[in-house]
Amino acid sequence: MLLAATEYVRPASLEEALAALAGTAGARVLAGGQTLINVLKHRAAAVELLVDISRLEELRFIEVASDGSARIGAATTYLELERSAPLRAVAPTIGEVAAGTVDRQVRARGTIGGNACFADPASNYPPLLFALEASMEIAGPAGTRSVPAGEFFLGLYRTAVGAGELLRSITLPPLDGAGVGYRSLQLAADSWSIARAVAWVRCAAGEPRTIEAARVVLGCVAGAPVRASATEALLSGGAASEEAVSAAASLASEGLEPPSDVHASGSYRREMAAVMAKRALLDAIGGAA
Amino acid sequence: MATEGSAVHAIEVTVNGVPHSVAVPARRLLVHFIRETLGLRGTHIGCDTGNCGACSVICDGQLIKSCMMLAVQADGCEVETIESLGDGPDGLDPIQEAFKEHHGLQCGYCTPGIVLNAKTLLAENPHPSEAEIRRALKGNICRCTGYVNIVASIEAAAAGAGSVTP
Repeated sequence: MLLAATEYVRPASLEEALAALAGTAGARVLAGGQTLINVLKHRAAAVELLVDISRLEELRFIEVASDGSARIGAATTYLELERSAPLRAVAPTIGEVAAGTVDRQVRARGTIGGNACFADPASNYPPLLFALEASMEIAGPAGTRSVPAGEFFLGLYRTAVGAGELLRSITLPPLDGAGVGYRSLQLAADSWSIARAVAWVRCAAGEPRTIEAARVVLGCVAGAPVRASATEALLSGGAASEEAVSAAASLASEGLEPPSDVHASGSYRREMAAVMAKRALLDAIGGAA
Repeated sequence: MATEGSAVHAIEVTVNGVPHSVAVPARRLLVHFIRETLGLRGTHIGCDTGNCGACSVICDGQLIKSCMMLAVQADGCEVETIESLGDGPDGLDPIQEAFKEHHGLQCGYCTPGIVLNAKTLLAENPHPSEAEIRRALKGNICRCTGYVNIVASIEAAAAGAGSVTP
């Protein structure tokens, strides 16, 4: 397939990348290209200039701090996330999700920043980053600003990254004993996810176990990931039991109107989102200290 | 290069050990560069949308789909295509011998990508389990659905059984 004519630059630094983005209207960041190249093939977007950040060392790193927090460069590939033992020690779900993404060819090129910035409702990282309360560092002409993941994803293919800006890194706060569950409903191993839920749970010390705090974020049910606030409120301070989780999770997708498409009807998505929420919560409780 | 509608970029790329200094338009896909500019037709185009894996090549040691990367992005890279294989007795690589012995292909269209997938897998994991082989093959579609023999071929290559023809 012949791509539409476009220009290309591979900046040698973040500063040069920002200058290139600022200098051309219609410039677009090219990271792993595992979505954008297809967009160009289908001529679904007009791109005047591709600013290739895939080899910028400033954007390719995984730093794990002694407090258990981690900072990940936006151009870090799935393969690098999957293979990072230090990251796996502090934020195992990030690598597990990377390892399950599409296929080895895509994992060798695709990046966490690209996945976040594409912001497809079925993208795997947005609900996870939201549930982990990650902070998204966005570089622009005026410097770098930090946006909570919950405010980063604005809707279908829309993020807080503005014109002339690019996602620089993602910081994950320490889990400090919290457990994380990540559940997706897929018809086959490489199908698009129909419904997805991510849970983060901190349990209080002592027996029987109680939930000190819980976060539940749903994917695939709206343009942007949705926080299941009613479920969270019901769980906080309550028992970490299957009964309590079932009752709370049944409220997770109440009132949502997920889209219907060839993969699933909206009402099926809504029902399955609650099921995924329950399973993710039970996984998170199982993994919590 | 006015017909291409965009400026050309000088790149240096090593393909199968041979260095090339060429100018490519920004929009040229790596697979088109390999097939049309270099004339290496062993890399196939199946779907053109990154789904089938027929265009898989090895770039700096990693299996990638060459229809999902621009040629200009391969600047400074080492690319290996199916033509790089084959020092064995029949001019075949032991992996190819194993595919021949175990009938690991039917129409053969997906085979170059699958053989390079196997090469990358065995370099990382010399003795993969059947599950690991199947998992590694996820991005390479065989529409003859001959996966049983493909898996058997890779298992045989791993066991070193593919290199000797009785």
